[in-house]
Amino acid sequence: MWYIFTEKFSDTSDRKAAFTVNAMDLVGEFQKSDSAANNKYREQIITVNGRITEIESAAGDTVANIRMTDTLTASYIIFTFQQQHLQETKQLKVGDSVSIKGSCSGGTYSNILEAEKIEFKRCAINKK
Amino acid sequence: MKKTILLFAMTTLVAASFAQKKVTSSATVNFDATTKLDALPKAENKTAVASLDTKSGGVAFEVTVKSFSFANPKMQEHFNSTGWMDSDKFPSATFKGKITNLAAVKFTTDGTYTANITGDLTLHGVTKPVTTTAIVVVSGKTITTTSEFNIKVADYGVTGAAIGAGKVSTDPKITVNAEFK
Repeated sequence: MWYIFTEKFSDTSDRKAAFTVNAMDLVGEFQKSDSAANNKYREQIITVNGRITEIESAAGDTVANIRMTDTLTASYIIFTFQQQHLQETKQLKVGDSVSIKGSCSGGTYSNILEAEKIEFKRCAINKK
Repeated sequence: MKKTILLFAMTTLVAASFAQKKVTSSATVNFDATTKLDALPKAENKTAVASLDTKSGGVAFEVTVKSFSFANPKMQEHFNSTGWMDSDKFPSATFKGKITNLAAVKFTTDGTYTANITGDLTLHGVTKPVTTTAIVVVSGKTITTTSEFNIKVADYGVTGAAIGAGKVSTDPKITVNAEFK
């Protein structure tokens, strides 16, 4: 039991991605069928390739979340970075093409934003 | 035709700049169910969607349950399991409410204000009323809101052996922090 309680999530950089996808293709899959895409991607480590459309400060934090938004539908993917990879976001800017690896929390429809939101946690810039 | 497009663009721009509904997709929600017996059950979610309507006082937030990140993988698995949040079945938690003392919160004047908030929290498929306060800090065009409240998980149909054993709090503290620009 002691082992379990001291266990921590491994570094995402060291994890093998189950899928590598283009950001807007992923948004399209969730828009087409939220449930099918969730069954496929949720709780999986995924590498997403795409262009940064927004860098949004997380409240009370000095580092930022990265967003890739489909400008036609306002649906988006948002990435929060793992503690040891937080500094990697500081070198990024809107318009950059990046490859990000992270744990997919799934997609849900936001009634506030009236768009599909796909969330990733414990992310790292994917070193090629 | 060009004039029409220009007029439309200008109207949209003016409407956007006077928009009273502010939104963010990077609000943070902290969940703290630690007890004297166990310091592990706490998590952070940095991708909550939150909105604030400075005219009507409407406030809302949406949280994807699986976006709560725990330090410990087993704890995160328990949190999402059918015995707890059952996040496959109930993927989101939502709050929709209103500031009830809107006149006391001056969104156009720099300062720190206390907003009284009442609304409905939906968690684990159960909706219950919540009354709380939020600290609202207005600084230029940035509005930061912080609210802390406790919920009784049993009210939302969340029960489990760990709660019974005193290792997970029966009334965890929820902290919501949103920055609107």
